[in-house]
Amino acid sequence: MDKLEVNVSFSYGEKQILKDVEFSARKGELLAIVGPNGAGKSTLLKCLVGILKPSGYVRLNGLDLLSLKPRERAKYISYVPQSSFPEFAFTVEEFVELGTYATRGSVEEALRKVGMWERRKELVTKLSGGEYQLVLIARALAQGSDVMLLDEPTSHLDINHALRIMNLLKGIKDEKILVAVMHDLNLALNYADRVVVLNKGQIQWSGKSSALTPEVLEGVYGVKAKIVDVEGQRVIVAWE
Amino acid sequence: MKKIALLVLSSVALILLGIAVGPVKIPFQDILSAFSWDTLKGAFLDPNSLNGNSYIVLQIRLPRVLLAYLVGVSLASAGTASQALFKNPLADPYIIGISGGAAVGASLAALYFPQYMSVFALVGAFLAVVVVYRIAKVNGHIPVDTLLLAGIALGFFTNALTSYFLYVGRDRIHNAIFWLMGTFNGSDWGDVKMVLFSCVVGVSILLFSWRELNLLLLGEESISMGLDINRYRKIVIGVISLLTSFAVATSGIIGFVGLISPHAMRIVFGPNHKRLLPASALFGGTLMVFADIFARIILKPAEVPVGIITALFGAPFFLYLLIKKKRGELFG
Repeated sequence: MDKLEVNVSFSYGEKQILKDVEFSARKGELLAIVGPNGAGKSTLLKCLVGILKPSGYVRLNGLDLLSLKPRERAKYISYVPQSSFPEFAFTVEEFVELGTYATRGSVEEALRKVGMWERRKELVTKLSGGEYQLVLIARALAQGSDVMLLDEPTSHLDINHALRIMNLLKGIKDEKILVAVMHDLNLALNYADRVVVLNKGQIQWSGKSSALTPEVLEGVYGVKAKIVDVEGQRVIVAWE
Repeated sequence: MKKIALLVLSSVALILLGIAVGPVKIPFQDILSAFSWDTLKGAFLDPNSLNGNSYIVLQIRLPRVLLAYLVGVSLASAGTASQALFKNPLADPYIIGISGGAAVGASLAALYFPQYMSVFALVGAFLAVVVVYRIAKVNGHIPVDTLLLAGIALGFFTNALTSYFLYVGRDRIHNAIFWLMGTFNGSDWGDVKMVLFSCVVGVSILLFSWRELNLLLLGEESISMGLDINRYRKIVIGVISLLTSFAVATSGIIGFVGLISPHAMRIVFGPNHKRLLPASALFGGTLMVFADIFARIILKPAEVPVGIITALFGAPFFLYLLIKKKRGELFG
């Protein structure tokens, strides 16, 4: 399955958080969702994965994922939550095995892919933030789904770990449909193929990351911005 | 695996010791002969045909020890499930109002229908769970924080009611007070059958769903990993109620075992319910039999409520494990 089509709206009581958020994502590309704090980015991912119940549809090659039961849905879509400190002292291997569809084989493959197989007997509570993030990604990988959603996979990480994670995602984008909420605009600009800019629960702009202009950022974030070229990489410079 | 085998061995040893210890000294030979085929067959056909020592072993001590073991297993398993449900190592099986409801039922029965104390306790326990569950339910969802608060609030309310009944009937409540502190005194095969049923059903469901119990620890996130969290939370609440209500109805409110067993075993075996649940169940059963033996001999020939003993021995053992954990000699 290689195409995800989304159109969702979501309200908490009276308050509308997401309004007609419509986009599609394909295998072979990394789609980044960016936007200011409170734009509804994390809520959007929770809606897509079924933690929240939105109206609208989330279709994978025409199959409506929202109508499926969690067990069935997990076959098709996995989720890497925003990293927080692990509360329970599982070993790395046990932690990756938690998912319903994880098998011995898929766990080993996932841990090897993120480079944590040798450390499988260690406790997740003893890992650094970056290592724990890799294990969270391995847990989603072991589920073997077609779609993988990631909520700020590089937040709180040092630049080395952040780049390691982005290169990892680059390496698996041909196998999966990847949708990542990203806080770091520079990483989004250089690693994502397409970008969806969310603001106040609505899509403000979407398109190829190479087409993102300073004017879009100025409109959404309320700052002055410039995009400059540094040794082939596009870098955003912003000021008030 | 070695550690689990050790727990099984301790269980067997404690059960045997529990049968051997009591106010009447019974020679080891007589204990063995009570378990001979002929004696067992006789006991099954007509228990009153048994001679003195065989009667004590098969009709008094064996049911008592088995009941203590099963109640320990039930409370420890329910405690493990509670801690997973609330994602909190301080949760115990009584947290959703079961003990409070049972205590109201039992103290009410002590006043007006003393022979039906168990039945009233059971009904009280189930009613309390239903009330807490209905208060906590929001649009078909069971938020665990509301469940916890509803359980605590109902706990205060039922405590007040129990105190009132005990105060009103202060001249005829000796049994109720003993029951409130937990006791296996006077237990028989009927009690064993009752708890055996709830224990086998409840513990089997938990053992078969160790993966789901693990996922509960992740909260809402587990939905993305295939857990229908609302449905499973309801199942777990049902199992905790079943295990705890039957245990409480037969032997009163025995504290600490449901809290300490999973907590202690988590320090040794880690949080994975594949190992934690059987370890906690075995430990709970063993701890309960151990506590009951002490309860019987410490003030011989009188008995101390077993709930006092579980706390007296459980707390220092728990502190010992904590210290070992701090020194890095145990898991985690």
